[in-house]
Amino acid sequence: MADTSSSTVELDGTADLASVMRDGRRTINYDPPHLNPVPSRQYYFYLMLPAIIILACITIYPFFWLIYMSLHKVDIGGAGDVWNDFKNWTRLTRDSKFQDGWWLLLKYSAMCMFMEVGLGVLLAVILNNSRAEKILVTIFLMPMMMAPVIAGLVWYYLYNGTFGWYHWLLESAGILGETSILGGTSTAMIGIVIVDVWQWTPLITLITLAGLKRVPRDQLEANMVDGAGPVRNFFQISLPNLYPFLLIAILLRFMDNFRFIDAILVLTGGGPANSTKILPTYLFDVSFQFFKLGRGAAIALTLLVVTIILGLILVRVFDSPASKTGQTQAGN
Amino acid sequence: MFYAPKNALFRRVSRRKFLELGGGVATALGVGSIAVGLNSTIFRSPVQAQSSDAAKWKQYDGSKLVFMSENTPPSFAIRDNLQAFYDLTGIEVEILTDDLPVVQQKVGIDLRGGNADFHLNYVQDKPIGSPFADFYADLTQYTGDDTLPQDPEGYGDDAWFENFLTACGVYYEPGRIVAFPYDCAVACTFYRQDLFEQLSKDFEAEYGYRMEFTDDTTWQNVQDFAAFFKKVREGGRDDIPYGYGQHQGSFAWTTQLDIQRMLFANGQWTEFDVDDKLGAKEPGPTKWGDEQSVLIMQKYKDQADVSHPDNLANGTLELNTVYQAGDIAMQVQYHEFAASIEDENTSRAAGGKTAYAACPKGDPEWIVGDGQAVNGCNCGIGGIGINAAASEDLKRAAYIFAQWAVSKDTQLHVLKELGGTPTRKSVLEVEEVAAARNRPTSMPNALTFEAVYDKGIRDPNFVLGPKIPEANEYHNIILTEVQRCVSGETSAEEACEEIRWQVDDMHDL
Repeated sequence: MADTSSSTVELDGTADLASVMRDGRRTINYDPPHLNPVPSRQYYFYLMLPAIIILACITIYPFFWLIYMSLHKVDIGGAGDVWNDFKNWTRLTRDSKFQDGWWLLLKYSAMCMFMEVGLGVLLAVILNNSRAEKILVTIFLMPMMMAPVIAGLVWYYLYNGTFGWYHWLLESAGILGETSILGGTSTAMIGIVIVDVWQWTPLITLITLAGLKRVPRDQLEANMVDGAGPVRNFFQISLPNLYPFLLIAILLRFMDNFRFIDAILVLTGGGPANSTKILPTYLFDVSFQFFKLGRGAAIALTLLVVTIILGLILVRVFDSPASKTGQTQAGN
Repeated sequence: MFYAPKNALFRRVSRRKFLELGGGVATALGVGSIAVGLNSTIFRSPVQAQSSDAAKWKQYDGSKLVFMSENTPPSFAIRDNLQAFYDLTGIEVEILTDDLPVVQQKVGIDLRGGNADFHLNYVQDKPIGSPFADFYADLTQYTGDDTLPQDPEGYGDDAWFENFLTACGVYYEPGRIVAFPYDCAVACTFYRQDLFEQLSKDFEAEYGYRMEFTDDTTWQNVQDFAAFFKKVREGGRDDIPYGYGQHQGSFAWTTQLDIQRMLFANGQWTEFDVDDKLGAKEPGPTKWGDEQSVLIMQKYKDQADVSHPDNLANGTLELNTVYQAGDIAMQVQYHEFAASIEDENTSRAAGGKTAYAACPKGDPEWIVGDGQAVNGCNCGIGGIGINAAASEDLKRAAYIFAQWAVSKDTQLHVLKELGGTPTRKSVLEVEEVAAARNRPTSMPNALTFEAVYDKGIRDPNFVLGPKIPEANEYHNIILTEVQRCVSGETSAEEACEEIRWQVDDMHDL
């Protein structure tokens, strides 16, 4: 019999494995040759350096430049920038358009969000596993493919009080009088919200639909065995599983609503009587209509800071135990 | 379902290869468009004062210029006729056109950034000229240069209609000309003569005077007309349109012009105590908030109450569409729109139904103090100016185009082709233009010439200002506060006081 007293053997990568096995040795300490040594952290840093430089140029440098601008009276191509004793900032405290802009932005975002999430989820539930799911999803996605400025123009014509088809429809139905939806200070906001809802509800539908595909069937079936109907099943099983997906959708739409102004500029330009002048629209006016770049920078910074704070809050909610429960369930 | 060949092209091209090819094509297109599309070129063949006219025109043969302009008829007509300029000079000109607010942003960034991507600019008096006047070349250095071709009619005040050169070419200091008058949009009254005749008796029975437009028709009369039309319509006559429509919408400048006409008509009220035609970089405190402005703001609101119900949605273009659709019987509109009104294919107000008159006159009872009642008329005079940041040769080449574009022959051509709006007096002296003032006419804009050139633009009716560097912010303040007042959010006093506060704050006062 072969000698089995020695239970370990050192392999240097050149040893004959078959002979080792033949000898009956059971434990092998294999030290493979270091053909690809573990790179140092410095090595990774150098690899990332070009990307870091590009990133710095396109984000970090403009960010600090924005702060600089907000502290100066900026005169590109003129006499140069002049320090103006925080005037751009102090002015914001008495600027009613700035303050109204915030209020309108929050109102607009909230209205869009509620309608888009509600309708988006409803559509996703209806579409999920329906016979015509693929074709309907394709059709529903079409508005999203449209450039916001084109969407704005299309709706501008539909809303038009003289020849707009939707205006005629709403007027004939007795919902609107002769004043078009964009011509009233109380209705213009609804008009622009409808456009946003029309264009971006499909995104929520798409994300929710992806979430619904991952809802575990065994949970649904178990709940049904317990006597749950489709509605109870949705609220008890599907919705908790959708939680992380909805948070992503809300985060995306929230960020978009804080920066998309294309359709609003085309539809109302912020009017009538500033009733749709959400903050980004006012920022556009100040910077590129009045060329007050310093004041514009101050407004932009407030927008940036609030966006970051609200984004962080949303991410924290995303990381909350309730969300994790949803994720775990979805992962099952 | 579909037949896919085994050796299909898409299977032979790897993803990497596809990306490489795509990237290469995109880069080549990008570089190509930058090189070909954006770059100007300049070639010069030196000439002397004694050189022939042909040599002077041809001295920049082979050069290329870019002209950024508003999408108005002259630019379209000139673009269609660029071959004539190319044949004359050998200079290639690219004319880019867009809506005025976009043009203002683009040229603003170009001018203030010290670039010269657009060598020639459309200098609309207040939206572009007032904020950017310092960034344009002084054209007087070229008007006397005998190495450049010059217009035999010259460029002095007498060559243009009254006030035009000052309106678009002179800012803050006399003597320096930054633009030649290129086109114009002057306000006058468009009204439905057929409806006026139809309803005149009923109106007279109620108001005690005839419903007609003359040079002495006042803003109070217009308000009466509008109220009457509204009453008839609301009495069940769906075939009768509303009486009037204001310039609101989102185009701030035209709303400012709309209320300014009424303000100036009643006592020649202006916003600042400065030379209205020259303007001022530091105009001092505004007069908004005084008794006259509050009274007229109230009258303007009263007028809105009897206007078309969709008043707040209708900017200048939309208002004209409303009139074309036959939904209002009167509008104070810019005379360049007459061509669209007289087009029977697109307008229900065509075919001799529309007549043109000067802007309404002020009403003595609307005047606080002892000011004069006039036919307050304003306008947008679009100039053509040269970017001061361009090289000297580019500026000289641009000057050749600028003076050609505002010549009598070019303006006559534009008037005939697309319904232009001449700025040179001599165009109106052409026999066929004089004849076109009466129906039937092949130049519909000429129907407005009496109201516009013979009356509106002449002193004491003409108002321009305020020419201030912050003109665009000023227009925006006016738009917002006027709309808030008209929609009932604020009273006339509150609106005027808010304007006063915001305008003075804008000027750090």
